[in-house]
Amino acid sequence: MRALAVACVLAAMAIAPPVADAKMLRVNIVADPAMIDPITYSELVATNVMRPMYEGFTRTRDDGASEPALATGWSFSADNKVLTFRLRDGVRFHSGRPFGAKDVKYTFEELLRPGNKGGLNAPSLKTIAGAAEFADGKATGISGIRVIDPLTVEIDFVRPDVLFPIYPFQFMDSGTVAELGPDWMTKASAGTGPYKFVRWTRGVEVEEAANPAYWGGAPKIDGIHFLVVPSGDTALSMYDAGELDYVEVPESSFRRVLADDRYARELLKVGKAQVNYLGMNQSLYAPFRDIRVRQAMSLAIDRAAMIKGLFNNAAIPLNGQVTPGVAGFHDGLPPLAFDPARAKQLMADAGFPDGKGLPTVQITSTAPFKDEITYLAGQFKRVLGMPVEVNVVERATHIRAMNAGEEALFPWGWTADYPDAQTFLGAMWTSGSPYNRTRYKNPEFDRIMADAQLAGDANKRYALYGEAEKVLMADWATAPLPITTYVALRKPNVHGLTETPFGFSSFQPVVID
Amino acid sequence: MLTYAARRLAVMVPTLAIVVLLVFFATRAMPGDPIGVMLSDHSADLVLASRLRAEYGLDRPLGEQLGHYFLGLLTGDLGLSFRYLHVSVAAVLASGIRVSLTLATLALALAVPLGVAGGVLAAVRRNRWQDNTIMATMIGMISVPNFALATFLVYLFSIRLHVLPVAGWGTVAQAVLPTLVLALPAAAYIGRLARSFMLEVLRQDYIRAARAKGLSPTAIVLGHALRNTMVPLSTSIGVVFGGLLSATFVVETLFNIPGLGRLAIDSIFGRDYPVISAIVLLFTVFYALINLGVDLLYAAIDPRIRLA
Repeated sequence: MRALAVACVLAAMAIAPPVADAKMLRVNIVADPAMIDPITYSELVATNVMRPMYEGFTRTRDDGASEPALATGWSFSADNKVLTFRLRDGVRFHSGRPFGAKDVKYTFEELLRPGNKGGLNAPSLKTIAGAAEFADGKATGISGIRVIDPLTVEIDFVRPDVLFPIYPFQFMDSGTVAELGPDWMTKASAGTGPYKFVRWTRGVEVEEAANPAYWGGAPKIDGIHFLVVPSGDTALSMYDAGELDYVEVPESSFRRVLADDRYARELLKVGKAQVNYLGMNQSLYAPFRDIRVRQAMSLAIDRAAMIKGLFNNAAIPLNGQVTPGVAGFHDGLPPLAFDPARAKQLMADAGFPDGKGLPTVQITSTAPFKDEITYLAGQFKRVLGMPVEVNVVERATHIRAMNAGEEALFPWGWTADYPDAQTFLGAMWTSGSPYNRTRYKNPEFDRIMADAQLAGDANKRYALYGEAEKVLMADWATAPLPITTYVALRKPNVHGLTETPFGFSSFQPVVID
Repeated sequence: MLTYAARRLAVMVPTLAIVVLLVFFATRAMPGDPIGVMLSDHSADLVLASRLRAEYGLDRPLGEQLGHYFLGLLTGDLGLSFRYLHVSVAAVLASGIRVSLTLATLALALAVPLGVAGGVLAAVRRNRWQDNTIMATMIGMISVPNFALATFLVYLFSIRLHVLPVAGWGTVAQAVLPTLVLALPAAAYIGRLARSFMLEVLRQDYIRAARAKGLSPTAIVLGHALRNTMVPLSTSIGVVFGGLLSATFVVETLFNIPGLGRLAIDSIFGRDYPVISAIVLLFTVFYALINLGVDLLYAAIDPRIRLA
């Protein structure tokens, strides 16, 4: 009894309205980051917490274009095989040490050093001369990277890569490991960004403080709490109670947020830099070899109904294979129609009137997309008479099978790795790409994409992407599916933070009233 | 008593070994693999995938992986987490254990006095309005699922009244709602048992004798009946504590508490085999220790019971 009384008193003492710290921004992340260092960096939560702390040659603006960050300019040699970067003067790391060419070389070598578990950015380096030898332990450094002077670095390529300047590298202070030891990432950040690492309490939060010495101007708030909140409903309750200033709403809670008028003025909705498509593997399901069947598949899908019924309006139509907000996106592709009569006619022309003679095919995806594949299977059955079975599998198994070219029919997507249409068109549809999951092959498309890879001039490149996308769509290589949007809520007293196709915008200009 | 305890502890070893085996094969039987989860969309990078597989020893035959794991356990090494790079399982679990045990203990500390007081009062006022009210309340508390109770309490205290935080862990205020959500059904369960045990005790001859001697009802209940009610109740309290630990799985997820329960769920989704195994192992140890503790407590409360 006494214990109970004490507990009650303690609880009563603790009952006080939670005090909002006016200068700390509180946002949610759905899980702990798996890592918090730029070398092993390889997943999306880590992207969110690391982007405020680390920078690359360029950065992505809110509109999707790239602009110089730690490099002020660069130039390619005539054959595009030598790339020279001029680095920004006067930039200091969070440690106070100056940023320079040696740190670029250091970061690249650490990404490829044998035994270092180099993450997402490591594959972007494989075209550098000497990279393969270094990664195999046959050289002590990457021979193709030369420090010309403290602010100039020159890189030789085995194969030209005109996109190299816009890859999302995160340059790291070369003095950090010597100063803080191999577990430095638990103590400090080694970047140049507007925020510095304070602490990571596993399961609770990642805290970052403003970097008053930031070269682009000190942030106007004191710092950021990235609170780990796996449940969408909990995150919304915290937002309602004023414990979060900004919440990226998980998909499971979209319906609740979009249907509630209270949120209308605080709502942000932006299409993700993630293409969606219907994969049709022509070698696994013979009818897909007929272009009329592929076109009929697209015509059988009522995209407006999908957006309303399946995505609660948190989606926008996609008419090609590049998403808005990614450089190289072309507006004005003809809208994809829902036309059952024409679809039926095409099937009849192809020799499958009312689906007669079509073998059974499985449409495959993971549990979260169960409704989507059930809807699609229903459409293909009803409109085309195609015998489609719904097959739900575990995620990693599904991804492996798709990448291995073992799935005949599947709706899936691809998230942009960098802000250029190459990330979609190159990975998904050029023959020979390990992510060409339908094993689509069109020599004309491949030729245009090869030209684009050599086009250092961005506008020329974007024009080529437009051509390639037209070829792809004229061939009905796929039926593009609506892309989903980020849904976020922002308190009226928070300014300068929004959603972009790549998630959170920059935290540098955030202001809290 | 010491020999008894030692023998019970020794019997735990084969139990744990069987649990390790079961969990090892259960995690491997789950569809998907941890490297696939780590690489996600990029799993077509076969070079990277095979390098990672080798680093985590996942390219070895299952028997060898199992042997390696057992050897590690014997030396107290639980291995490396698959999800958190460079972090040992022990480090991932350390804070979670403290959080879950604290939460379950707080809930028990609230549930036992609440339940016993309610149950005793109901027994003493049997079939009167006090009894009916208490029993109806308790049946209600057992019947409402904890996620519904949690949602209601959060809505009332956090969103409407703004007196308690919605979620999180670290301050006393943040512990109030999760403790309540865990404790109320447990208190109701204890209360119902306490009531029936008390009714049984009150029918005993020695109580009649005490009454005949002219002792006050309070002295009879608190001085004589209560202690004998506690003997059977103590076994149930052990079970309740185990139940509280399991209930933390739901409550920690709802209240966003970084304990073992939420960690277990995250680890299952992330195919973090070593962390899942370690958590199951820990819960097994907890249950075994609780049962042992209860048996020892038995002897302490009731001198008639001899352990051999």
